[in-house]
Amino acid sequence: MTKHGLVIDQERCIGCQACAVSCKQENNVPMGQFWNRVLTEGGEKMDTPSGGYPEDGGSGSLDMQYQPTACQHCENAPCVKVCPVNATYTRDDGIVEIDYDKCIGCRYCMAACPYNARVFNWDEPEHMPEEGTGDVEARPQGVVEKCTFCSHRVDEGLDPACVVNCPADARIFGDLDDESSTVSKYIDKYETDQLLEDRGTDPNTYYISGEMSPGRPQTSDKMESELDDVSPWSDGDDDVPSKEADSAGGESSGSSHSVEGGEIPYATPAKSGGDD
Amino acid sequence: MAANTGSSRVAIPSFSGKGKLWIGLLVALMAAGIAAWGYQLTTGLIATGMRNVFSWGLYIMMFVLFVGLSAGGLIISSAPKFFHSHRYEGFARLGVLVSLACIIVAGLLILPDIGRPGRIYQFFTSPDFRSPMVWDFGIVLLYGLLNLWYLWLLTRRDLAARGSALALGFKDTEAGRERDRTLMFWTAAVALPTAVALHSVTGWIFATQVGRGDWFSPLVAPVFIAKALVSGLGLLLVVSVLADRYTNFEVDREELTSLGKILGIFLAFHVVYLLAAERLPHAWADHFEFWAIMSNFLIGDSVYFWLWTVVGGAVPLAMLALPTLRKRVSVIFTASVLAVVGTMFEGIRLVFTGYEVANIDSAPGISLGGEYTGITTDIWATAGSYTPTLVEIAVTLGIIAFGAFIVTLGLKYVPIQRVDAEPSYATDGGKQDQ
Ligand code: SF4
Ligand code: SF4
Ligand code: SF4
Repeated sequence: MTKHGLVIDQERCIGCQACAVSCKQENNVPMGQFWNRVLTEGGEKMDTPSGGYPEDGGSGSLDMQYQPTACQHCENAPCVKVCPVNATYTRDDGIVEIDYDKCIGCRYCMAACPYNARVFNWDEPEHMPEEGTGDVEARPQGVVEKCTFCSHRVDEGLDPACVVNCPADARIFGDLDDESSTVSKYIDKYETDQLLEDRGTDPNTYYISGEMSPGRPQTSDKMESELDDVSPWSDGDDDVPSKEADSAGGESSGSSHSVEGGEIPYATPAKSGGDD
Repeated sequence: MAANTGSSRVAIPSFSGKGKLWIGLLVALMAAGIAAWGYQLTTGLIATGMRNVFSWGLYIMMFVLFVGLSAGGLIISSAPKFFHSHRYEGFARLGVLVSLACIIVAGLLILPDIGRPGRIYQFFTSPDFRSPMVWDFGIVLLYGLLNLWYLWLLTRRDLAARGSALALGFKDTEAGRERDRTLMFWTAAVALPTAVALHSVTGWIFATQVGRGDWFSPLVAPVFIAKALVSGLGLLLVVSVLADRYTNFEVDREELTSLGKILGIFLAFHVVYLLAAERLPHAWADHFEFWAIMSNFLIGDSVYFWLWTVVGGAVPLAMLALPTLRKRVSVIFTASVLAVVGTMFEGIRLVFTGYEVANIDSAPGISLGGEYTGITTDIWATAGSYTPTLVEIAVTLGIIAFGAFIVTLGLKYVPIQRVDAEPSYATDGGKQDQ
């Protein structure tokens, strides 16, 4: 069995928000919503430490850490257990996912999730640009959505967008059931925590703090640039796997956005040549 | 034979000018509610005050209240039947009618809370039996049908005698009366555990949740039962005093006082005992000095807490505890109103304790999916806050007006009391001593 998990090395994380932004972009997350947030553990505001400066008689106890937070893909996921209509379910590979066709929008799962990982489309979702971004079909008004571990990418053997886009290599994705995987080894070797461990949700997301790990090695089968038909530099026309992704990920072909095959988040084919 | 010779009474033979005004008011409220819901359907739940952190609001708070309110009538009418007693017979039919209206209101309140009401059929096609909501959905449905059946069972002989179409072709016969008596006993026997299940399952919707503060407590289900008893009986007393005043429905003063006393006992058990049982362990564990423990135990946190415990608890309890006071109808009425209002604030407080604080509240927080109306201008929040919008209030009032409409129609078309004799003889379904 496979059990996908994520290790986040908080010692490596530099708080650059790249994962939060690439998640939003890759998954076509509506305006006003985030599936992945980089929180500052420390002061009252973002990017501010707690404690006092060492000068002028201060305590010299400044302390700050970043905690990127998205769905933790809990093993004992309360959101799955409360969903009255089986819209939220756990896949065989451990990913907790939502069937947006089934979701009635009761928001019981939002009450159930201790991590506030879920967001609800209170009105007609707005996208920038209007036709959407990334490689996932937009969700309608009135449903709950959240991080999918980029299941559409995982199904293709790719790492999640936030993982490949982390410039600090602080995010490591892999199979927790495989003892030789990097995630398993890091959990074994470094001091890791799960968020709100006392709630018994048993998340498949682990946070390293204390000693810094070597970070993310290449854990996909291949480097993305080696997958000949998924070159990030291609013009999009020959992005074969996007069609596979459509069937594998259960995405309908009539996706509402015009960006096809843009699973590589560096530059979407529709905007090829652009520098975003 | 009572059923043949005696006659039954409907509370409202025909609508007077005032009655028509009342109906007009209800219809206006319902129309406004439908319009508001239509508006909410087109704009989405953004029209409400709910956002990502505070994702359940007025609809669920009122759902909790009305599920509780639906308890009183059914219990007051079925508990004596179960013990073959004629106590409170005068309240039996009105009680079931009020219960029925309340459970319909509760069920309807869920609809506007659903993001995609068109998909509600998924409850039947794809249910997950681990979800307390599936159980609650089932039991609300069952409870509604049970009330409907019970009301009809209690009144069908009188309906038949009056030639009402609502008798559905049922005939009033000797053998039929005998059978109805057995049926009533068994319905009462089923009604009591169903009521207990209804309130427990509704409590468990909250009590099973590890992520929402005080919700995760084994006490929630018993507290829901207690508050159903308090608010349900309170509402029944309110409605019967009003019906006595404005319609031909007649309240037996002695029974009213006796029920008032019972309400006092329920209140004492609920607001004094259960609340203390819930708070003391936390106060004790969190504080060290004797007075710190005591003050933390006695002094509540939010304004909803005070509205509930003092206005809805201590005050009505004091009113009902003094024998000189509780003989007055006006005192019983006021105490009952306060008990219902207090329970409402208890439900509001419960939802607030779940959403007010986010477990992980580091900056910038949680994206809201739209700003909290009038509170923040950005999309982030580290805590929940909620104020219902006019749309929510209008929809809720519309649904409550529908409940009042059902009660009014019931008073008009259902023989709500027997007039031929004393209560013990009159409405027991033909089981008089001969
Ligand atoms: S983090 Fe929340 S949404 Fe994700 S699996 Fe756990 S409970 Fe469900
Ligand atoms: S909002 Fe949707 S996914 Fe969440 S519990 Fe309700 S039906 Fe399930
Ligand atoms: S795994 Fe994908 S969906 Fe989840 S936070 Fe990362 S980019 Fe977003």
